[in-house]
Amino acid sequence: MQSIYKKGHSDGAPSRFKKGRSDGTATEVIMPKVDMVMDEGAFVEWLKEEGDHVKKGEPLFIILTDKANIEIEAPADGILAGVKAQPGDTIPVAAVIAHILEPGEELPAGVKARPTVAPRADAPSDDGTAPPSKLAPSTAEGAEPGKGKVRATPVARRMAAEMGIDLAQVTGRGPRGRIHKADVLAFARQQQGTVHPVEAAAPVAPVLDVPLPDARKKEVVPLTGPRKIIADRMTYSAFTAPHITLSLRVDMSEAGRLRGRLIEPLEAKTGQRLSFTAILARAVATVLPRHPYLNASLGGEKIILWDDVHLGIAMSVEDYLIVPVIREAQDKNLEHIVAELGDLTERARARHLTPGEMSGSTFTISNLGMFGIESFTAIINPPESAILAVGKIVDTPVGGEGEIVLRPMMNLTMCVDHRIVDGAAAARFLAELKTTLENPYLLI
Amino acid sequence: MTESLLHREEKNENGKREISYLEAVREAMVQEMRRDPQVFLMGEDVGVYGGAFGVSRGMLEEFGPARVRETPISEAAIAGAATGAALMGMRPIAEIMFMDFITISMNQLVNQAAKIHFMFGGKASIPLVIRTPAGSGTGAAAQHCQSLEAWFMNVPGIKVVTPATPYDVKGLLIASIRDNNPVIFVEHKLLYRTKGSVPREPYTIPLGKAEVKREGRDLTVVAYSIMVPRALEAAEQLSAEGIELEVVDPRSLKPLDRETIVRSVCKTGRALIVHEAPVTGGVGGELAAVIADSEAFDFLDAPIRRLAGRDVPIPYNRTLERAAVPQVEDIVAAARALAQEGT
Repeated sequence: MQSIYKKGHSDGAPSRFKKGRSDGTATEVIMPKVDMVMDEGAFVEWLKEEGDHVKKGEPLFIILTDKANIEIEAPADGILAGVKAQPGDTIPVAAVIAHILEPGEELPAGVKARPTVAPRADAPSDDGTAPPSKLAPSTAEGAEPGKGKVRATPVARRMAAEMGIDLAQVTGRGPRGRIHKADVLAFARQQQGTVHPVEAAAPVAPVLDVPLPDARKKEVVPLTGPRKIIADRMTYSAFTAPHITLSLRVDMSEAGRLRGRLIEPLEAKTGQRLSFTAILARAVATVLPRHPYLNASLGGEKIILWDDVHLGIAMSVEDYLIVPVIREAQDKNLEHIVAELGDLTERARARHLTPGEMSGSTFTISNLGMFGIESFTAIINPPESAILAVGKIVDTPVGGEGEIVLRPMMNLTMCVDHRIVDGAAAARFLAELKTTLENPYLLI
Repeated sequence: MTESLLHREEKNENGKREISYLEAVREAMVQEMRRDPQVFLMGEDVGVYGGAFGVSRGMLEEFGPARVRETPISEAAIAGAATGAALMGMRPIAEIMFMDFITISMNQLVNQAAKIHFMFGGKASIPLVIRTPAGSGTGAAAQHCQSLEAWFMNVPGIKVVTPATPYDVKGLLIASIRDNNPVIFVEHKLLYRTKGSVPREPYTIPLGKAEVKREGRDLTVVAYSIMVPRALEAAEQLSAEGIELEVVDPRSLKPLDRETIVRSVCKTGRALIVHEAPVTGGVGGELAAVIADSEAFDFLDAPIRRLAGRDVPIPYNRTLERAAVPQVEDIVAAARALAQEGT
């Protein structure tokens, strides 16, 4: 395959921007890779127009990732030319979307302005002649040994076989296109219905032919960026996964006592306050491995049961829902979870989380207790199979041993994907979670 | 001899006794010699002078010249005499002052000590320990700095032990002395002054039992001897970058604890092998083959890589000496690159 790293780079460091030719100075502008699991980016808009003079470092264009619009800076001083990307295009990482020219310089041969797709190497150019063969990317490929064979690590091959994935379909991001585990997982996530950027082009909801109300408009907000992603995912989940909802109340007396006893020592160790969410996270991570279908993803004709519990904790930051992930939570003790949750929360508020830290969960907890919400239902965060909605702990009269007593009670509501989780299976999980929270010493 | 003569003791913050690697070697020898009259020490300058590194200081006074024996400067004689003594029922500890000169004792060790048990149908055994300081970092140049452990791994009948910490060196040396086979016990010169908590009472660590010195999810570093503390320091630095190394110390190269290494690589999917000896024909190649030829293969998410000494005699110049073998920063760079490959 053609390397994206071309001549003119003696330092060997991968840079986003490459000199296009050794005999000229045109700088390629490419679709950058801003996230570890990014194959392609959705192009939002140019901040400059063809022919504009741009300065190195000033914002040049905007792309959309799973979580945010990201401004990309100009890689060099010069004149923007040969602009290819159009708003709404989905463009592979490292693809050239424009050039920056020095005054008087022309575009490299073979580059034409504003084609919506890159010209195919074998297609005749507009004037009817074939492009000069020395510029055709296929010449480099022909000479490479092992061409046509898939390069993949052993674990990538094994996982692909287990998941029924054809490695030829997977984009490898290792050296010389080698496919690693992360590439297979990214591909699997796409296959399982995480909304693919190309699919996202479809309208979120069918546009109904219903007249809008006759009212004065305060503002019209375009559905883009994180809000569009949330809309896509929730629509996908709500209309593909048949949700069923179960709920029960948990007596949090002992969990409260445990929290009271541990709050100071854990704060001394971690600098973070032990929250009920952290106790809940620890309990879920402990119980979940015994209920594999609740830590699972449905993809095509396969149900993937995850060994790791990547626990998503839904949070609201600046009006957007984000889900930071505690990875491999099954192996983490309470101290670890307190420290990590505190760190994720602080950095989420400071908007310092990377996209990788906000994706890839296998189960999600959503707690609205702090708003006084006593119980609610949630929509499953695809491609997960369940979400746990947590309410406020409320002192509630409950009956027991012939008398009515006040207990701190908490509502847990779980929504599960009924395609792969039956009501009884969900009930067993919820019951074990209740037992664990009411006797939190089981967590030791 | 009183305990206080043995070494200056310090307590760490947990109230545990801390002694140096060198003191732990001495304590293991002293305790075994007190326990078993068949155990004795022989070597160049091990008596009055206390050994080139002071390991046996004070032992002549306690045990006398019959059990702390000075030898001529002849490694062939030391190894031959020790092999003969072992054959006759003694349990000798023979010190080769620098591993470089184990070359001179090779015939006795390889053709005699390693073979006798087998050639006599199991009727004789050679409970012999060859203690020998190896490694560079002291500015002692090409003939006093080598790490020759790989040679002995290739000789059936010989065990090879490469301890990295004061705790390990004591337990492994006692286990080696009690073992009925020839053991090449490789001490590292730069580790002699390192300290760690060591129980006062005798204890053994089984030969062939690796230890996970640090747990991590991203990359397995298999390292032994001086490369263990260097790998741990590298792990500390990379942890700040979010890369978690798992450091596995085989502790004995032969027998080798394949299971612990393989289990770790199954977990992390990536393996970096680090040693001081030159890379070509080194232990790293064997360890890489063990990993590739195991169930860990199906979990590998990157090539197995080796970071080892360059294929040069150790230079005298300090800068070049340092450049010839892996340092902490080299481990950091290699581990980072491997952990990020394809991610």
